[in-house]
Amino acid sequence: MTVFDAMVFDANVFDAIVIGSGNAGLSAATALQRGGAKTLLLERHNIPGGCATSFVRGEFEFEVALHQLSGMGTEEQPFVMRQIFEQLGIMDKIEVVEEHDLYRFVLPGEIDITLPADWDDISRVLIEHFPHEAQAITKFMTLIESISLESFMNVPQLKRNNDSEFLDSQCANYKQYGLRSAKDVFNELFTDQDLIAVLGAYWCYLGVATNDLPFVDLAVMIYAYAKFKPAHIKGGSQAISSALLQSFQDAGGHAKFNCGAEKILTENGNICGVRTETGETFRCSTVISNASPIHTYYELLDMPKAPEQVTHDLKSRRLGTSALVLYVGVDCPPEQLGITNASTFIVRDRDEEVAVANMRTLNPPVSIMVTCYNLEDPDFAPEGKSSLSILCLQHCEPWDSVPDEKYAETKYRLADTLIDQAEVVFPGIREHLEEVEVATPLTMMRYLNTPGGAIYGFEQNTQDGTLFRERMNAIGGLYIASAWYGMGGFQPTYMSGNSAGHAALKYVQKNQIQQEVAENA
Amino acid sequence: MPNQNTPADSVLQQVVGYQEALNHQEQLALEGTDLSEHKGKVSNTIAKLHPKRLHLKVIDIIEDTSSTKTLRVASKSNALLPPFQAGQYVNLFVNIGGTNSARPYAMSSSSQTREHYDLTIKRATPGFVTHYLLDQVNVGDELTSSGPMGTFYHNPLFPVDELVFLAGGSGIAPARSMIHEIADRQLDYKFHLIYVSSFEDDVIFEQELLQLDKEHDFLTYDKIISRPQETYQGMSGRLTEERLRELIGVTDRKMFYLCGPTPFNQSGRQHLQAIGVKPRHIRIEANGPPKNPESLEGWPQQLDPAAEVTVTIQGQGSFKARVDEPLLNSMERNGYTVENACRSGECSLCRVKVVKGSVLNPPEAHLRKTDAQYGWCHSCVAFPNEDIEIQI
Repeated sequence: MTVFDAMVFDANVFDAIVIGSGNAGLSAATALQRGGAKTLLLERHNIPGGCATSFVRGEFEFEVALHQLSGMGTEEQPFVMRQIFEQLGIMDKIEVVEEHDLYRFVLPGEIDITLPADWDDISRVLIEHFPHEAQAITKFMTLIESISLESFMNVPQLKRNNDSEFLDSQCANYKQYGLRSAKDVFNELFTDQDLIAVLGAYWCYLGVATNDLPFVDLAVMIYAYAKFKPAHIKGGSQAISSALLQSFQDAGGHAKFNCGAEKILTENGNICGVRTETGETFRCSTVISNASPIHTYYELLDMPKAPEQVTHDLKSRRLGTSALVLYVGVDCPPEQLGITNASTFIVRDRDEEVAVANMRTLNPPVSIMVTCYNLEDPDFAPEGKSSLSILCLQHCEPWDSVPDEKYAETKYRLADTLIDQAEVVFPGIREHLEEVEVATPLTMMRYLNTPGGAIYGFEQNTQDGTLFRERMNAIGGLYIASAWYGMGGFQPTYMSGNSAGHAALKYVQKNQIQQEVAENA
Repeated sequence: MPNQNTPADSVLQQVVGYQEALNHQEQLALEGTDLSEHKGKVSNTIAKLHPKRLHLKVIDIIEDTSSTKTLRVASKSNALLPPFQAGQYVNLFVNIGGTNSARPYAMSSSSQTREHYDLTIKRATPGFVTHYLLDQVNVGDELTSSGPMGTFYHNPLFPVDELVFLAGGSGIAPARSMIHEIADRQLDYKFHLIYVSSFEDDVIFEQELLQLDKEHDFLTYDKIISRPQETYQGMSGRLTEERLRELIGVTDRKMFYLCGPTPFNQSGRQHLQAIGVKPRHIRIEANGPPKNPESLEGWPQQLDPAAEVTVTIQGQGSFKARVDEPLLNSMERNGYTVENACRSGECSLCRVKVVKGSVLNPPEAHLRKTDAQYGWCHSCVAFPNEDIEIQI
């Protein structure tokens, strides 16, 4: 006796069901449907995108999460994300805006430096500011280039051939530096702590301090942004999400909004369907969950106990950080506030470990990031006005002890300190406020449905990486695609979804063949 | 789980830092849990602050004026209601003669009172939901609403010392909540209420406002009757630029809140700007779909507002709808529904996709830039101006 003994209509039968329409869910669903699998996409909210969305306040449409899209490259020098978006059928639907700088890094009164998004110019600027480190800077730039290329091209091969000669000849830099902490490598190369602080600024995009971060991750990030430019999409990340949904639907995919999954149904350890919160049951052989593994295995899966493989894996995982974000519309142009770059890091301490420790408190942040969206693309704000996000990373746990009735007050008190800190470099924000919305880790939790409101999945220290993890495959037909398996951020989640989609497609096809064989037998 | 494809002879062992990472993983596993303690935590946390639905019961009905009542509602389970920011609303879901619909109502009670919410409802003419709520609902009845929503509240990040509230008719509801919030939390704001009612016997919370004015230094209360009887002594007539200039004086470091009928809000905004208030300091509560869509820019010439078109819900069915009726309303009358809350174009919960034909999106529709490209509309304020097919 199965849940499907009753007459099942075709409309309720799919090859695959994707739970959640975040970046990975949308990419997976689109890859599946375009690959020929009849796919249903379920989304509990009214709009696709997860983090990759926007909202409207007054005359402003605020970008929720995308700061700098990596991996696009230029038209002349395209990089991997263009190929993926091409395969997913959206390159003709989106318009890419290139950015000119990586970031401005400010420790007020002490450091103020802007790194251009150009390989040669970065070295020049760094050497200008830190002439005594010239040699080390050159060595560093060579190192991050070599290690990035090794990690793109050779390391995947190494995992297959397990050849120590290949390791020594083709992955030499990776071998020596790749898995050491970024901090450790910085300290080996440089003595100037200001320089180390400037080069480590992207720790924010990964959520852990450089002493916990594998050097290769930071190196690849700097290399890719410098070589292939940070990018924006006209209309913001919502434009990508909407385009992916359209591509999915154009290929015949079926999407349901305001319709969360309630249970993932199994039969003999294999996926057999999904029940929604609206009470409908759909049959399928394959599920891709864009939800956290905690939600997927402990709440959605219909098994009384999560597979041993999963519980064992989760023991060495730690929840990653969330964020406190102010979405700010001001009624003056960026220049009037002294904003000269799309992305600015403003810190109160050159050691980001101080900032990371502070992320578990409700104290004013040590490190904030200010993004001005309309600096490189005037369409991002009404004429003569500016659209900013001011954010700090923060864990959810200090919010757990804030009583409900103190929530709003606490949120505004803390938000005020972020404006204070931003105003040290960009005075006038508060005077020109036209719209402001504050999102806390609890807001992230509400909209992303992630434990701890995590925005990057698990804490991404070295051992969390895919190199040290096995794909969770204890349930036949269940795939996980999200920041929770692999890295967080836009490029990694699109790629994770796309590859999970392709893996699931193979499973669907294998299943279809087996079914045909069974029927013909 | 820790990678089992990396036996001791894996070449990765030679990578500096690899073994340390494995050791770290082992250490974490020893100290860690399987994270199952997070089971249910997300939904419980969110349900406390932002529940999707509130199950309410009416515990009292207060007759404010001949056309207005306040429904005092508490949680059916007697638990505290979720916190809200003064000025926010709940969307009240109703079933009237078989038709499911809903309307948003601002809480008029203090945000510091969580035992109940006061929902103040004035009879609309013509009306549908207000008539039901005023005439059919009794103490003890159960109601369902959304959680508290909306962006019409004072955000303390704005650097101002005084809130000036221009209220028209039942637009007094959020103002009353804000006044009580300032009093209860002893906030450091002045509050200037300029309250316009049509008739002398139409003033909602009249005695309470006079009392509050007497008790609190932070409050200034100006009452205006727009159509008074001849014997009326107080301020009367329309809210003009001159009147506002005289009442408000200096406009610096003040935030202006407007809540009333749409024409009241629009002229209020114009007058405020004329006396030098910056647009960034004017906040207007959304007030439902536009009443006469045929007067809007973009309305097709020669399209009779009484004309009917066919609305097809993909895969479900179709019905006839008048071109001047908001899509969400005609859907509801025909037995279809989508999630909704503000019913004024702002919250975007009622977003649906138009796959054939087109709708008129008024300025009330706060659409995202890419919505037009893919045909998404906010059905609460969208008017079908030809036969359309939509996905819900």
